[in-house]
Amino acid sequence: MIEIRNLTKAFGGTRAVSDCSISLDGLTISGLIGPNGSGKTTLFNLITGLLKPDSGEIRFLGSRIDGRLPHDMAALGLIRTFQLSRVFPRMTVLENMLLAPQGQTGESLLSLWFRLPRIRKEESENRERALELLELLGLTRLHDQFAENLSYGQQKLLELGRALMAKPKMILLDEPTAGINPTLIRTMIEMILKMRERGQTFFIIEHNMDVVIEVCERVFVLDHGEKIAEGRPEEIQKDPRVIEAYLG
Amino acid sequence: MDLLLHLCVIIAIYAIFALSLNVEVGYTGLFNFGHVAFFAVGAYTSALLTLSGVPFVWSLPAALTMAGLCGFLLSIPALKLQGDYFGIATLGFGEILRMIFNNEVWLTKGPMGLPGIPRPEFFGFVFDTLPRYLALSAGFALLTFAILAFVVLSPFGRALKAVRDDETAAEILGKNAYRFKIKSFVIGSVFAGLAGVLWAHYATFIGPGDFTLTETILVLLIVVMGGKGTFPGPVVGAVALIFFQESVRFLRLPPEWTRLLGPLQQMIFGLLLVVLMVFRPEGIIREKGGER
Amino acid sequence: MDSISYYLQTILNGILAGCIYALFAMGLTLIYGVLNFVNFAHGELIMWGAYFLFLFMAEPFGLPLYVAIIPALALTGCLGLAMDYSVFRPIRRANRLTLLIAAMGLSVLLRNAAQFFWGAEVRTYGFEVIAGTQFLGLYLTTTQFAIIAVTLICVVAVYLLFFKSRLGKSMRALSDNLDLARISGIDTKRSILAAWVISAVLAGIGGILLALDTNLHPEMGIANLIKAFAATLIGGVGNLWGALLGGLLIGLAENIGVLFISPGYKDGIAFVIMVLILLARPYVILGERSD
Repeated sequence: MIEIRNLTKAFGGTRAVSDCSISLDGLTISGLIGPNGSGKTTLFNLITGLLKPDSGEIRFLGSRIDGRLPHDMAALGLIRTFQLSRVFPRMTVLENMLLAPQGQTGESLLSLWFRLPRIRKEESENRERALELLELLGLTRLHDQFAENLSYGQQKLLELGRALMAKPKMILLDEPTAGINPTLIRTMIEMILKMRERGQTFFIIEHNMDVVIEVCERVFVLDHGEKIAEGRPEEIQKDPRVIEAYLG
Repeated sequence: MDLLLHLCVIIAIYAIFALSLNVEVGYTGLFNFGHVAFFAVGAYTSALLTLSGVPFVWSLPAALTMAGLCGFLLSIPALKLQGDYFGIATLGFGEILRMIFNNEVWLTKGPMGLPGIPRPEFFGFVFDTLPRYLALSAGFALLTFAILAFVVLSPFGRALKAVRDDETAAEILGKNAYRFKIKSFVIGSVFAGLAGVLWAHYATFIGPGDFTLTETILVLLIVVMGGKGTFPGPVVGAVALIFFQESVRFLRLPPEWTRLLGPLQQMIFGLLLVVLMVFRPEGIIREKGGER
Repeated sequence: MDSISYYLQTILNGILAGCIYALFAMGLTLIYGVLNFVNFAHGELIMWGAYFLFLFMAEPFGLPLYVAIIPALALTGCLGLAMDYSVFRPIRRANRLTLLIAAMGLSVLLRNAAQFFWGAEVRTYGFEVIAGTQFLGLYLTTTQFAIIAVTLICVVAVYLLFFKSRLGKSMRALSDNLDLARISGIDTKRSILAAWVISAVLAGIGGILLALDTNLHPEMGIANLIKAFAATLIGGVGNLWGALLGGLLIGLAENIGVLFISPGYKDGIAFVIMVLILLARPYVILGERSD
């Protein structure tokens, strides 16, 4: 689905991502691991258009997407979450969810005046779906709370829910379980697995190897911006290059 | 009594002006420091058209279109700037526009201004008395309030707020931040133009001196003091500040004081802005969820 | 005057105006670099600098120009510090809109305070206009000669301060990364204060030179703020030498521009240049949260 070829991005003199090639074809849940500062988030930023690559190309469903702005990526079906959750703190949980659906009629200034019934219908459908997802995430009780009143873990769950609301073809999760308590980690994993059953594909940056082993089919390992290994999680764990990268 | 009616007309006009700025500052987070420019475009367009014999029914939509168009054309380059820089660009636009009013004498009569602007006429009904004009401007104020409330509460308005609060996150969710900002700016400009039209036909005289930075500051203060990003905020602000400003004007002070009174009043407005920002940046009415 | 020296004179006038804009722009860009916001009240430092000199040259002080400059610049520096202490420091960590509106309010307050004390009328320092000396076929008044000399001195002083002193080093570190500078043990408070003083004094010097060359009035600050801003934009925001270059370019463009368009639009040229630069730029998404 995502095809990265010879991607390079440098900041100043240092290469954050260096000649990196990754193919996610035919995979449902792929993992991206590597020591701190190995360029994982930079890679995500490149894929989602927050950064422009220096060279190389990124294809999504066959077409070039590198260099486009993030909103184009979302429209194409590529949604991500952030390492430090970026919910809208001054909006309610439900409003956060309602923001995500793509191509909303009510977001067009012109349609507001002429297609009100359709907007109402879309809104109520989205609302219903949002409440369903919130139920799965255990956030129903909090739906009319401002997002800033949620705990950090709940915010990360909300961010996942919001990503799902967009009905994306691919979700990029940046450390979904970092810094949240074990109960919420369980909710997070189960949500991901449940969505996998429904055919949702994911690309996940994750530090917690237990989580990686549980959910990922295939893992890519970055070190100093270069892909040093890829394979099934169990294989990767034993790979001497990977062990060296983490220890050295 | 007339004084009270006059006060109400001015409050209605400034409420429209402030509501339009609130869409930009309050709901989209755009630092527009040249808002008076669009007020001026509306005023001049309608004044020039009616003075050359075009009926008000046509000059009004023409003025709104013109204000919106100016907003659109300015926003294309200016919105490539973030925050402060956008503020300066709009400030500069306000000054340029005043330069045009001053210099294009063939069109605007320059610093002499345009006297004798006719009262609005709708299909034979002339809004020539104070109560009638109040009805007209209050009607438009209500209409503005309703339209802007509808826009802001819609999914469109929700996206505006998202862009305001976290542009990156909004982009990631597929919102084209640049386009949403342009649209917000155009809406603000159109309604500022409406306020300008009402002003021109009320004052019956306009000149470049009516559209200075001072006006922008006043309307900014109205929005910020009332509570930006809230519905009633700009209205509350308009009532409070216009009441203050206009009552000072009617104090019948000795002429040697009035020379000092203008700057003194502006000093108070400036100080109010500073004090508000330091001690209560959210204004009188606090936006829901906006703790900071 | 033949046409070649007429054009040379235009260029010279452009450079003279450009020197003054450069002084404004360097101060503006310095505060932006260190504190990361546009000081909308920078124009008022320009204007108050000029009025402080007026104050000390008029009764009851009646100081001669060369003496009066010292307390005038000292007071301008203090005004910069006072702005920081009373307004900007308390809201340093607030969101940008708050900072910006506060700066705008401060600008209104200071501008009208000047009008309150000295009136809205245009004033001069009361020197007789001295006929310019001819130099290679160009006219240059003493004031204009001073503009070039003082700007050169300021540029050298800023260079020494920024690139040769410890204070400058810490200020540059600050403009790279405030938080990082703080942890690495740099005295941020002192550097910020120094930035305010330098910015204000540069503005004051520029304002005085401008007023000596033309006149003073309460609106002179705000008119020049836009030009200073356009200059910083040309040179790259936060870049001192860029501001210098940008200022000169704006000055030249204005003076050459009026050969072709009505002088009534002279003050608009900077704005048009700014728009043209912006049109060429791509849209950049704001990286950080706005609140």
